[in-house]
Amino acid sequence: MTTGAADILVAGEGRVDLLDPAAAATGSAGALARTPLQLFWRRLRSDRLALIALGFVVLLVLVAVAAPLVVQIAGVPGPNVLDPNATNAFGAPLGPSAGHPFGVDQLGRDVFARVVYGARASLEVGLLGTALATLIGTVVGLLAGFHGGWVDTLLSRTIDVVLCFPVLLLGLGLGAACDVHGCAAGAIQPGVPTIIAIVALVNWTYIARIVRGQVLALRERDFVLAARSLGASNTRILTREILPNLLAPVIVYSSLLIPQNILLEAALSFLGVGVRPPTASWGQMLADATPIFTTAWWYMVFPGLALLFTVLAFNLLGDGLQDALNPRGQVTHT
Amino acid sequence: MIAYVVRRLLWGVALLFLVSALTFVLFDVLPSGEPARLRAGRTASPQAIAHVRQELGLDKPIYTQFYDYIKGIVLHFDLGYSFYSHASVSSLIADRLPATISLAAGAVVIWLLTGVAIGIVSAVRRRSWLDHAAMGGALVFISAPEFWLGLVALFLFAADIGKFPILPGAGSYTGLLADPGKWFGSLVLPWLVLAAGFAAIYARLLRGSLLEVLGEDHIRTARAKGLSERRVVLRHGVRGAIMPLITVLGLDIGTLLGGALLIEVVFDIPGVGRLNYDAITQSDFPIVQGTVLLAALFIVLANIVVDISYAYLDPRVRLR
Amino acid sequence: MLHKGARRRTAALSITALLALGLAACGSGGESSVHQKAGESPLGQKLYGKHRGGTLIVYDHEDFEHLDPGEAYGAEDYTVLYAVTRPLYSYPPNSATTLKPDVAAAPPIISNGGRTLTVHIRPHIYFSPPVNREVNSGDVAYAIDRGANPNVANPYFGSYFGDLVGAEAAKGGPIPGIETPNKYTIVFHLTKPSATLFYGALSLPLSSPVPPEFVKPLDAHSPTTYGTEYLVATGPYMLKSNSQGKFLGIGYQPGKSLTLVRNPNWNPHTDYRPAYLNQIDVNVGGESSVIGQQVLKSTDAVQNDSPAPSIVQQAYQHYPRQITFTPGSGTYYASLDNARGPFTNIDLRKAVWAELDRDAIVKARGGSLAAQPMTHFLYPGVAGFQAAGGAAGLRVDYNEHPEGDPTVAAKYMKLAGYPSGKYTGSKTLQVVGSNGEPEQAMAQVVNQALQNLGFKTHLSLLEQSAMYDKYCTVPAQEIDVCPNVGWARDFADPQTVLYLPFDGHAITPSGNSNYGQVNDPAINAAMEKATLTVGEPARADAWAKIDDMLVQDAVAAPEVYASDAQIEGSDVEGVDQLWNSGAWDYDFTSLK
Repeated sequence: MTTGAADILVAGEGRVDLLDPAAAATGSAGALARTPLQLFWRRLRSDRLALIALGFVVLLVLVAVAAPLVVQIAGVPGPNVLDPNATNAFGAPLGPSAGHPFGVDQLGRDVFARVVYGARASLEVGLLGTALATLIGTVVGLLAGFHGGWVDTLLSRTIDVVLCFPVLLLGLGLGAACDVHGCAAGAIQPGVPTIIAIVALVNWTYIARIVRGQVLALRERDFVLAARSLGASNTRILTREILPNLLAPVIVYSSLLIPQNILLEAALSFLGVGVRPPTASWGQMLADATPIFTTAWWYMVFPGLALLFTVLAFNLLGDGLQDALNPRGQVTHT
Repeated sequence: MIAYVVRRLLWGVALLFLVSALTFVLFDVLPSGEPARLRAGRTASPQAIAHVRQELGLDKPIYTQFYDYIKGIVLHFDLGYSFYSHASVSSLIADRLPATISLAAGAVVIWLLTGVAIGIVSAVRRRSWLDHAAMGGALVFISAPEFWLGLVALFLFAADIGKFPILPGAGSYTGLLADPGKWFGSLVLPWLVLAAGFAAIYARLLRGSLLEVLGEDHIRTARAKGLSERRVVLRHGVRGAIMPLITVLGLDIGTLLGGALLIEVVFDIPGVGRLNYDAITQSDFPIVQGTVLLAALFIVLANIVVDISYAYLDPRVRLR
Repeated sequence: MLHKGARRRTAALSITALLALGLAACGSGGESSVHQKAGESPLGQKLYGKHRGGTLIVYDHEDFEHLDPGEAYGAEDYTVLYAVTRPLYSYPPNSATTLKPDVAAAPPIISNGGRTLTVHIRPHIYFSPPVNREVNSGDVAYAIDRGANPNVANPYFGSYFGDLVGAEAAKGGPIPGIETPNKYTIVFHLTKPSATLFYGALSLPLSSPVPPEFVKPLDAHSPTTYGTEYLVATGPYMLKSNSQGKFLGIGYQPGKSLTLVRNPNWNPHTDYRPAYLNQIDVNVGGESSVIGQQVLKSTDAVQNDSPAPSIVQQAYQHYPRQITFTPGSGTYYASLDNARGPFTNIDLRKAVWAELDRDAIVKARGGSLAAQPMTHFLYPGVAGFQAAGGAAGLRVDYNEHPEGDPTVAAKYMKLAGYPSGKYTGSKTLQVVGSNGEPEQAMAQVVNQALQNLGFKTHLSLLEQSAMYDKYCTVPAQEIDVCPNVGWARDFADPQTVLYLPFDGHAITPSGNSNYGQVNDPAINAAMEKATLTVGEPARADAWAKIDDMLVQDAVAAPEVYASDAQIEGSDVEGVDQLWNSGAWDYDFTSLK
């Protein structure tokens, strides 16, 4: 849902504080001066819910990477194997059974295997798409905030224009237009690359705005002015003083974007412009389930739960990161 | 103040112009439906298609086409013609808008009431089991894909296919004027599903915002003065904490009025979002252009309203 | 004809085909049970003497495409058109072989060695309001003339009316080959002796009378507004319209609903249709499986297009009196690009034919009640089907095993130059299918077969109309495989099944129905000769031989013969159109 991003927009207005070196040194650690990073880890480690979420995410990544192995261990056929015996005489799929713990779909393909492989599509899009959006957004935000002047105006206005586009419609339109032969003279192929491009296109503006805000604030801080008075070049200031202080908010906000993008991929796949068949994708499985879920409930339940738990884990993780990096603000969950 | 409003409105118009131009270019450059071929028919010869292209003005350079398009909008409110549906784009949109507005309005009411209530209760009873449950539930509803929630809702409660058939199922939408009872019944499930995610977000948002506000000095003063806790929270706390919600509410309404696509698809509600989805899958470009413009219009309007109210409340903003 | 939602015409089913289905006769003889014997009315019930009155509710997943009789070319649209307009000749619902004179008073008089047809028009047929006057021969002449008008762009004008004298140069003006000596007589002059085929074509909607004084100004628009805003009826029903004859927004709301009401000027004495219903309300859109549920649980509703496979099972098991299967609804196959790419090699085409699991596709469509494996290109009920091999088809090794035969497939891969039995070339196949309910499953079975043979594929599943209009009917798009194409005949002649999809001369740069761009000179020559063959038995033989040639050339990969299902509510006494893939006939359906 796009409002998750609204969460970020509002939060961006001063919610997450920078990891202020001055404040950290005299912070809750008491007499011992700890580096900001150490403080961050300490807080994160004490947040049990976030740790569980982190564990789940790591597990999911492992499962996605080692999908063939997982499927083999579970003793089910691969995700694209059509099993004619798993559908009845009318072609209707049979439910969970010994050979197929999550049941099968209309073509007799094992749902468990497809759920496992579906993690790949969701994670690829969620992680790569967000990374790309973060990269673009950071560069743009840095340029806008640091340079100022007409560059800032131009970039900010561009961000305004992009933010006017309805997200899902834009994604749908691009996905549909790039079908079959791809777009940009074949540079963007249909399937996962298209969705990653769409995700990046839709998200970079949030990161850009936040980075720009932070850079603007940082530009006038004492330690930057001090470095400048010592004769440091712009590049040096950028890399030594500003970028390290951007790390925290960028990590937090992009981690909040990941679950949104996983849901975006699922929505686009559900609407038919997602990954190419026969590649498994949770959203697409839910689309396939729509006509038959009254009789084949398993096909709707398992991919849906997979999506729910994955997004939930990333949300919890994001919350935990946000709390760990925000010593003064309110904890978003107990 | 006036100057600020004027500036914002002008920029809003410019934004819409840019959005329109970008959409035009995007769908022209990218491979999409060839309206001339659609119009010319299945067995049309290349000459026939060329003839139709000429008649539709598709052989003119793109800026000329765009100029004609903008002229049509500004002078006649003419958003173009859809050859696939044999109707003008504006009439199709006008036909579908009431359903989208019905959907959005009901959902907004539900999620505001529930979100605010839950947020307040959670903040006041911080760290209690109620708080944990509410925030946990909120997180679950934020994390669940809304189309999946819709399918689950239909699976459980739809009159025609559900396990506990108590509410009308997908495709039962009728206009408010045609049959108010059926209109209401058909929207209950979509409203609930659509509101669920938003209510969760608003609850979390309000809780965080309220907790911050309740920690501030003027609250301590109010308590010291002997005001009842309820008064303190509702009168002084919420009033201060509600600002971020208003911002987000404006933006959300703006986005929803462009069409709650997923809900409209799952529940088969004939709204603008559904129109857009059908148009995209059928490569019916004039409709896509029109609906994107409409959605952008609502977003821009919402932004303007929010900005102006901020400027009204905070004079520093106007100077930006 | 192109396949769309519901399917096209069918014929009486042969007994062998029925037995091959292995069906226990649903012996209770309920009118909606499976077909009993060939030659009888498919529903085993009478067509006349039913109860008059009532409103039928119709659920239609797909929207209508063209309501102009000059433009419509699909089963969906035909269900409305054959209730609202009357062509010169038509098939009654229980036949797909014998034409009944409709606007015509009698079968045509064929003379001049098959180059001239003389048709007499029935008097006392009237147009609906606001035109109101009697139909005359000039109205039929104009109806056919406008087919050549680019603003109308009739899709079959060239194929079936192109032999009229002067048709080539026609652009909507009077065609020299159509003569109207008096107001009840119309004479057609052809450049070739193809009167038999022409007679069959007069059953298509193009021959329905159109009043020139009302429609000519509408045809001046591009596109014509006749059929999109205005329509004049000659049948028992008409689209609900205002006093000027405009139905848009009243009787038809695109994407939402369509309403048919009685035509006040319809003269029942001139028509063999009983027209029991008072009104027909069509609701467009909605999820196919939800529609199916609604129909099965209702008393007065039917579904216009084929129900989803899950509904087929449910209906067959729980509502057996409310479902009918119409065998011989057409074919589904996967076109292979014969003109470029890997499939110019005949051995690769044979390999795909052998590898494809046609039984899995049968299942995907709902099991053996709804489909049977396809073995050649004529289908059950079409003249020549038996001569071309019947259910088993031509006995070649790649055709023997509908469940898929990897051994034979490997043999042909080797013959094609891939000793490992798997494709090792660099080309990635572009496969474009439809995202409809059984279609996408069928496409994935085909895709799997291709991948089993070692091909790398790009599979795209699109909206059906986009699949056809943008990709599969446009040779320039260079699509290697279209797994969701199919064909059904236009009228009772085997030429209508084989010519447009497989003749090299029928290839067009857009709107191309020869999806695979099959262009074999020997086959082309045989087809040209067969088009001019006279007499039904001779034609059946000639086209059966062509069917054999198509199989030997492995021009495409066959999938299934469809037996489309139709469902109805409990109080509906539905009559389905054998000739139109079993679609419900509004002129004969009634309510109890």
